Amino acid sequence: MARTGGPATTPPRTIREERIERIGRRRRSVRHDVNPLREGLRLERVPDPHVMVLFGATGDLSHRKVFPALAQLWRTNLLPQDWQLVAVGRRPHDDATFRAEITASLEQYSRVRLESDVAAQFLGRISYHQGDFGDDEAFDRLAVRLDAMDAELGTQGDRLFYLATQSSAFPQIVAQLGRTGLDHELHGGGWRRIVIEKPFGRDLDSARKLNREVGRVFRESQVYRIDHYLGKETVRNLMVFRFGNGIFEPLWNRRYVDHVQITMAESLGVEERGSFYEETGATRDVVQNHLLQLLTLVAMEPPATFDADALRDEKVKVLRAIPEFGAADVAANVVRGQYGPGWVEAKPVQGYRAETAVDAQSETETFMATRLQIDDWRWSGVPFYLRAGKRLPKRATEIAIQFKGVPHRLFRDSAVDPQPNLLAIRIQPDEGILLRFGSKVPGLGLDIRTVTMDFTYGSAFSVDSPDAYETLLLDAMLGDASLFTRADEVEAAWAIATPIVDSWVNGPAPDFPNYVAGTWGPNAADTLIERDGRHWRRI
Amino acid sequence: MHATDEALGLDAPTVGDPLLRFSSRTTSLAGIEAELAKVWAATSLTTTGDTGEAERRVSARTSVLNLVVIARQPEIGARAAAVIRMLAGRHPSRTLIVSSADPDGPSWLDAHIQAICMLPRPDAAETCAEFIDLVAGGEAGRHVAAIVAPLLVHDLPVTLWWPGDPPLGTRQAVDMLAMADRLVVDGSHWSGDGLDRLQVLARLVGEHGAGIGELAVSDFAMIRQSRWREAIASSFDRPELRPFLSGITAITVRYAAHRGAGPWGTNLIKPLYHVGWLASRLGLVVAAPLRPVVPDGASESGDDLGLRMTGRLRASRRSVAVAVLPMASPMPPGTTLTVELSAERRGASLEVVVSAEADAVMVHATVDGRSMPVRRFMAPRRTEVELLAETIESVGRDPVAVAALLAAAELVRPT
Repeated sequence: MARTGGPATTPPRTIREERIERIGRRRRSVRHDVNPLREGLRLERVPDPHVMVLFGATGDLSHRKVFPALAQLWRTNLLPQDWQLVAVGRRPHDDATFRAEITASLEQYSRVRLESDVAAQFLGRISYHQGDFGDDEAFDRLAVRLDAMDAELGTQGDRLFYLATQSSAFPQIVAQLGRTGLDHELHGGGWRRIVIEKPFGRDLDSARKLNREVGRVFRESQVYRIDHYLGKETVRNLMVFRFGNGIFEPLWNRRYVDHVQITMAESLGVEERGSFYEETGATRDVVQNHLLQLLTLVAMEPPATFDADALRDEKVKVLRAIPEFGAADVAANVVRGQYGPGWVEAKPVQGYRAETAVDAQSETETFMATRLQIDDWRWSGVPFYLRAGKRLPKRATEIAIQFKGVPHRLFRDSAVDPQPNLLAIRIQPDEGILLRFGSKVPGLGLDIRTVTMDFTYGSAFSVDSPDAYETLLLDAMLGDASLFTRADEVEAAWAIATPIVDSWVNGPAPDFPNYVAGTWGPNAADTLIERDGRHWRRI
Repeated sequence: MHATDEALGLDAPTVGDPLLRFSSRTTSLAGIEAELAKVWAATSLTTTGDTGEAERRVSARTSVLNLVVIARQPEIGARAAAVIRMLAGRHPSRTLIVSSADPDGPSWLDAHIQAICMLPRPDAAETCAEFIDLVAGGEAGRHVAAIVAPLLVHDLPVTLWWPGDPPLGTRQAVDMLAMADRLVVDGSHWSGDGLDRLQVLARLVGEHGAGIGELAVSDFAMIRQSRWREAIASSFDRPELRPFLSGITAITVRYAAHRGAGPWGTNLIKPLYHVGWLASRLGLVVAAPLRPVVPDGASESGDDLGLRMTGRLRASRRSVAVAVLPMASPMPPGTTLTVELSAERRGASLEVVVSAEADAVMVHATVDGRSMPVRRFMAPRRTEVELLAETIESVGRDPVAVAALLAAAELVRPT
C-alpha cells in the first residue's frame, strides 16, 4: 500500500536513475584484477600462484618434455613466484634423490641450459610424493599435503593436475582426485584444472568411456586434453596465416582449391617404443590426433572470436562433416603399410617386424594414407589426402593446398604448361610457407617455368620459438583452453579413425611388409591418389 | 659515371655466416641504380654445385624493408654497417648508410654497393640483401633526403636509424622523417643530459602521431628496459599486493654517475624512462616537474656527482614524490642502478627495490617490514644487433612506449 503524506516518488525514467535506484550512488571501485604494469610486456597476465601436481613424474615424458618446459618457463620468469610442484610417482624417492634425477634430465633435454642459481631455485620448488595410484592412503596424504601448502604459500587452493602417466591409469587417478575432493573448485577462487596427455582412448568407445569417467569428477571447463602438435609455433601460425591475411581466405574453398595434402613423414622407426607401437599403429598414434587436428585448422570456418569454445566449435564442425567409413569405404580410400628392411639417411635399417618388442608376424601399420571428404558448403568435392608413416626418406610435416589450374590454356606455344599454383605450409623442419607460381623464362620465346616464393620462419624472425610444451603448460596455468581438445572433438576424431581400424581387425591379414624403409610408403598409396589424376607432392 | 666491379670468388657458403657476393663502387646516383640492377644478374652469385657445374643459388631478392642509416661521421656509419651485416640473413633489407664529409668542398658522391648473402640451411637458396654505403661531400651532404629518396625500394617500409645525436628539429630531419615509417634512436647515447632532445622527440611523436602514415619511434634506451619493467610489474602480480598500485607514494630512481662529470654531463634518459613508464601506466600526471635540487652547502650539481632531481606526480588527491638521484658507480654514466617504490594501503606498507646485479635484475619486496622472497630476472645487456632486430620485428607504434616517452618528456618540460 502506498504511503500517504510523504513526498511523491517518481519512478526511474533514465538509465542513470534506474542504476542509482538499483545499486545506489556508489562509485565503482578501482579494478584490481589486472596489473596495469603488465600492459605491453611479454605476458599481460601471469598465472596465479598455484601448486602443480604431476602424476607420472618419474616417467619418460615428464623427464624429456614436462620438466624441461617448466624449467624454461621458470628461467624466463613466466611462472609465478609462489609456484610449487608436487611430483607423484610410484618409485621410492625423497626430495633430494628426485631432484638429482631431474637435474640430470634438465642437463640432457633442456632447450636452453639453465644457469646454476636458476636451476637451484627451480628444483627447490619441487617436492616428491610417493604413492601408487590405487592407494587411497597416498591420495589422502596428498590432499593433506596440498592443503598445508596452500596455507603456507597462499596459493588459495589453485591447483593444476597433470596426468603424464600411461593412459590406463587415467581413470584411476581421476577417481582418486574425486574421492578426496581435490577436484572441487572453491567459492570465490581456488581453481582446479586437469591436463590429460594423449592418447585419449584407443577407439570411439574407450574415448567415450574415458570422457564419462573424467566428466563424473571434473567439469569440461576444467579439463585440458593435450595434443602437443597444437602448441607448435607453425601450427598456431596457421590460424594467423588464414585469418590474419585477407588475400588467401577468398581462395580457400572448393572453387579454387583442387585438393589438399597433409603429410607427416618420419625417418625414424619405432626405436624403443616397440611394445607401445604394437598396440597403437600409425592411425592411432598420429592420424587420429595430429593429422586430423591439422586438417581441422586448414578446413574450419573462421571462428567468430578467438576464445577456446568458438575455436573448438568450428573444428568439431569439420570433423562431423567427414562421413564415417564403412568397410567398403575403407578398402577404397585407405591404404596401410609396414616397412621392411631398407636404407634411411644413408644407413641400413631393419624392418619393423625385426624391431625390439615387436611381434615377428605383426600386422601393425607403420604407414597410413587416406582420402577424406568434407561434406560442407566450402569443401564439397575437394579431397583431403592424408599420409603418415615411419621410416620414410625424411622427416617432414607439411600441408599443401593445391589450387586448380587456369581455366583456359593461353600460352599454347610454351614448351611446358604452367603448373597450377600451390601453397605449402611446412610444419617441421624448416618451418615456413612456400608459394609456387609460373613465370616467363627470360628470352625471345614464351616459355613458362615454375618458380617459388619461399618464406622461412627462421630467417624472418630471430626470436627463439618456445617448445610446444612450454606454450601449452603456460596456457593451462592461465586457463586458456584454445589449444586443447574438447571431449566432443576427441570423440568426433575417433568416429573417423575407429571404423578404419575396426575394418582391419575384421578383415583379412595384410600383406606386410609392403614398403621398403627409406621409400614413400607402399605402391598402393600412390595408386590411391593417382586414380584421381593427382600425385603425392615430392617433399 | 664511374664504376668498378670487384669479381668475387665462388666461395662455398657456410650456414648462417654472412658472405660478400658482390661488390662495386660508383660515384653517381645513376651509377648506383645501374650497379643494383647488376647485383641480381651477376655471375658471382653463381656457385659450384654438387655436380661441379655452376649453380644459381639466389632464388629471389629478399628485401623486407628499406633500412636507412644517417651517420654524421663515417666511423658511426662503419659501426652501424657492422651491426646490419649481422642481420643480413635474418632481416634482408636494402640498406643505405649515408654519411656526410667535407662540407665546405665541392659536391661529390662515393658509393660502395655490396650484396651480402647468407645460407639459411644447407638445402636452401641463399638470401641476399643489398648494402649501399654512401658518402656525400660538399653541398650534396646537406641534401641527404634527395639522395635517399630515389634509392628506396618502393612499397617497402622505411626504417630510419639515426645513431648518435640526431638533429631532430632541422630541415634535414624533417625531410628524412617525411619518408620514414619508423625512426630508431638511442636516447642513452645522446650527448649531455639528453633532456632537450627528449623534448624534441616527444614533439615529433605528437606531431606525427595521428592516423595513417604515423611515425613509429623506437628508442634502444627504452627497449633495453623491458626486463626491468617485467621485474617491477612482477611485484604486483600477487592479487593481494595489486591494490598497492593505487597507493604508491614515492618513486625513486638512482642512476650511475662519475665524479667530475659535471651537473649536466650525465645522460638521464634511462632513469627518466622508468619514471615515465610508471607514471603513464598508473595514470599519474605531473603536479610539479622534476627540477634540480641543491642541498645546503653543495654545488648545484650535488657534490659534482650529477643532477639530483625531484618532482611530484599525482592521481586524484594522492601525491607521489619522485626523485632521480645520482650514485657513484663504476657502471656507465646514466645506467639505472635501482628503481624504488613505496606504497601504502589501509595502514599496510609496501617497499619494492629493483636493482641491477651483473646480468640480472633483482626484486626485493617488503610488506610491513616482512621480506618477500627475492626474485631474479635474467637481463643480459643486449647488443645493438639484438636491439635492431627487435626493432625491425616490431610492427606499428607501441602505445606503451609512446605513453612512457611523452610522460618522461612532460616530467622535465621546461616552464
